[in-house]
Amino acid sequence: MIALSVAALLAVFLLYTSIAGGGTASLQPSQLGGHFGNQVQLAGRVVGPVQREARTLRFGLRDVKGTAIVRVTYTGSVSDQFRPGRDVYLRGRLMHGVFVGEKDSLVTKCPSKYVAKPSSGGA
Amino acid sequence: MPELGRSALVVALGLAVYATFAGALAARRRKRRLAVSAQNALLAAFAATAVAAAVLVAALVRRDLSFVYVAQHISRELPLRYAITAFWGGQEGSLLLWLLVLTGLGAAAVAFGRRAGPDVIAWTVPVLGGVATFFALLVVAIESPFATQAAPPEGAGMTPSLQNPYMIAHPPMLYLGYVGLAIPWAFAMGALLARRADERWIVATRRWTLLAWAFLGVGQLLGAKWAYEEVGWGGYYAWDPVENAALMPWLAATAYLHSVMIQEKRGMLRVWNVVLVTLAFGLSLFGTFLTRSGVVNSIHAFAQGPIGVWFVGFIALVVAFSLYLLFTRLPLLRSRTRLESLVSREATFLYNNLLLVAFCLTILWGVLFPILSEAVRGETRTIGPGYYSFFLKSFGLPLLLLMGIGPLIAWRRASVKALGRTFLWPLAAAVAAGVVLLALGAGSSPLGLSAYTFCAFVLGSIALEFARGTRARRALGASSWRGAFAQLVAHNRRRYGGYVVHAAVVLLVIGVVGSSLFQTVREQSLRPGETMTAGDYTLVYRKLERRQAANAEQERAVLGVSRGGRDLGTIRSGKNLYPVEQQASNEVAIRSDPLTGEDLFVIADQIDTDGTVYFKVFVKPLVNLVWVAGLVFVLGALVAMWPDPREARRLATRAARPPAHARA
Amino acid sequence: MSTLALLLGAGLAVLCVLWVASPFVREPDAADDTLAAPEERRLALLEERDRVLAALKQLEFDHRTGTVSDDDYRATVGALRRQAADAIRALDALDAPPAETRRQEAVNVR
Repeated sequence: MIALSVAALLAVFLLYTSIAGGGTASLQPSQLGGHFGNQVQLAGRVVGPVQREARTLRFGLRDVKGTAIVRVTYTGSVSDQFRPGRDVYLRGRLMHGVFVGEKDSLVTKCPSKYVAKPSSGGA
Repeated sequence: MPELGRSALVVALGLAVYATFAGALAARRRKRRLAVSAQNALLAAFAATAVAAAVLVAALVRRDLSFVYVAQHISRELPLRYAITAFWGGQEGSLLLWLLVLTGLGAAAVAFGRRAGPDVIAWTVPVLGGVATFFALLVVAIESPFATQAAPPEGAGMTPSLQNPYMIAHPPMLYLGYVGLAIPWAFAMGALLARRADERWIVATRRWTLLAWAFLGVGQLLGAKWAYEEVGWGGYYAWDPVENAALMPWLAATAYLHSVMIQEKRGMLRVWNVVLVTLAFGLSLFGTFLTRSGVVNSIHAFAQGPIGVWFVGFIALVVAFSLYLLFTRLPLLRSRTRLESLVSREATFLYNNLLLVAFCLTILWGVLFPILSEAVRGETRTIGPGYYSFFLKSFGLPLLLLMGIGPLIAWRRASVKALGRTFLWPLAAAVAAGVVLLALGAGSSPLGLSAYTFCAFVLGSIALEFARGTRARRALGASSWRGAFAQLVAHNRRRYGGYVVHAAVVLLVIGVVGSSLFQTVREQSLRPGETMTAGDYTLVYRKLERRQAANAEQERAVLGVSRGGRDLGTIRSGKNLYPVEQQASNEVAIRSDPLTGEDLFVIADQIDTDGTVYFKVFVKPLVNLVWVAGLVFVLGALVAMWPDPREARRLATRAARPPAHARA
Repeated sequence: MSTLALLLGAGLAVLCVLWVASPFVREPDAADDTLAAPEERRLALLEERDRVLAALKQLEFDHRTGTVSDDDYRATVGALRRQAADAIRALDALDAPPAETRRQEAVNVR
């Protein structure tokens, strides 16, 4: 009886996540091609030149193991860990050849293990 | 000295292998001396691991940079207490800690767990030995903490945000929790291997499970506090895979703690309990794996080493082993009693279990989704906090309600009429609270209001339970009200300790709801002299200070705070720059109001060279209840765990042999 | 340094081996080397008795505090008391010497 109930509940989740669009695609810059206008999560390595005007940040994002680069425009909190060579990810959309990041969605990975440096999120 | 460390670990590995194979042989052939020998090997493995750990600690204290591990995690100027905590700061050291805690807790649990029965103990030893063998193999052959090099002039240093008192306590507590969950699992496997269907192993491991669960809970709260103060993004939980990795086994363990009570009292749910304890231990292994492999996209930059494959293999082995034993012993475990009524305490425990496990599995699904979607669709898809929040609310609110209902319902069955009378007071409390809160403006979030009224209901029901129980004790002849209360708790520590823990959960919910659903956020760029408001507070940015500390350059924006015209003093928010580690850290300003538990949280997000600062200000009502809840949680767990001399005496007389009836 | 380390390591290994071998050293030829089997029947009866007694106590207390209504109490207490009596009787039968039980059975037959 218990097993059936749990199985039933599980089925509900699977349905929910599939119907609700099943999460956001997580991509590297080289994979952005087929996703014009859709909201995705973009992950990669920061490359220069990095320009900062007030709260807007402009930089290049490259495949972690590759050469494809996309230009990114982002407004919002930026972790102090952010700099060229660091791995980051953020949400946003590809528009007119430039990836426009969602406000406060930029997360910079810390170079060492066990350390979190988000600029937004959660409770 | 690294040679001593390496050889000590080889000795530990040998002992673990011996404990596994000799222990299994001894259990199978029922050989007493061999069984004792295997048990001794487990304890000796702890001693050997402790020697290796001591070598590593000594190297850290001495700042011996010829140890690769030491050079990677400390610098010469690092304060001593943080140099020591670097022990678990990296892959190799944390695995060594796992082994140390496992062999230590394992040896102790086996030594003090005699009431599980000698045949169960005989099988538990090789199971623990098997787990120890895995971890010993890792630290000996794959990720040794004792690699050496020509000592460099300076170490890599420790990430500044880890140099924090919370980080001294958080990892060891989590480890005691994670590893501690191996104990009930090992005993469960031991019982199955010994072909036992009774509850003795549960009674024997009860306090160990409580201990592990309590440490895991406190460890998570410490981590949340660290994230709140040190990482400083304005929150304390972000549904990051690493955070979820600790939450999942804790939820499974919570479900397990409840369902074993049903097995003890009514002999039901035997199979379910074995499944739960395997889920809890499996998830704790999975959590350990998640924090060190590179499989999911997380704010943590994980090492992409070979260790991931080993962990996945071991987890698969553990699960397969548990399921195999379960299936082959299934006829033995069939319960003799059935659920008598859907309105009974057993039933509420069951609903509680379903909700907790469902929530746990939804989180697991969310964590695994990127991996699964990659495998199935070739495209990695991530799941955001919205998914987790939805299920937290969907499962959390009913669970909250159950916490209030459960204690008031009797075992076996309860009549609806009796329930109506019992629920009167708590319901009244809930309605009254709801009305008051509505008047205070909590209607701005209907969800928050509902959560608060549920909390009032639960607190009302807990208070009622204590009141009724104390009154009954008094009628039974207790000398005074205080005496009656003390007797009440002493005669049933688990139950009343559990109620205190429920109260802690309620406090946690109030804190979480207040600081998320009723918080205010304001962002503004200010030049020196300018003002901004957030909620009831007015902040004036006075000036920017720069100071040189021991290992950092400190930049602080000084702000004057006032509320309703009254001056509340100054706060400082800014950043630290660490030249050795080449890193900066956020140093947020938190002003806690002792009366309301509210926090004013200020981040100096961006500091320009001309002194202009971009501020992010949060007003978080009731957030300090989250930390208070932690203290209440510890109190409740202690009460529940506290040794009961009457119970001990009863179990001792049970184990004593009967007088020999020698009659001609 | 390194020889000292290796010597210490060897010493540790020796100590551990001694500790592991100690059960065999202490009892070179043990008359009874079998793992003690718990007195299953007796233990099970004791546990049953204790569990039913605890349930009775819980029921009485819950009745006192009002968690259990009078009707539910009356419905459950009888069965529990009978269970407790059965468990105690079964235990006594187990503890009673064999001669006693044989005499008892002989009496019953007559």
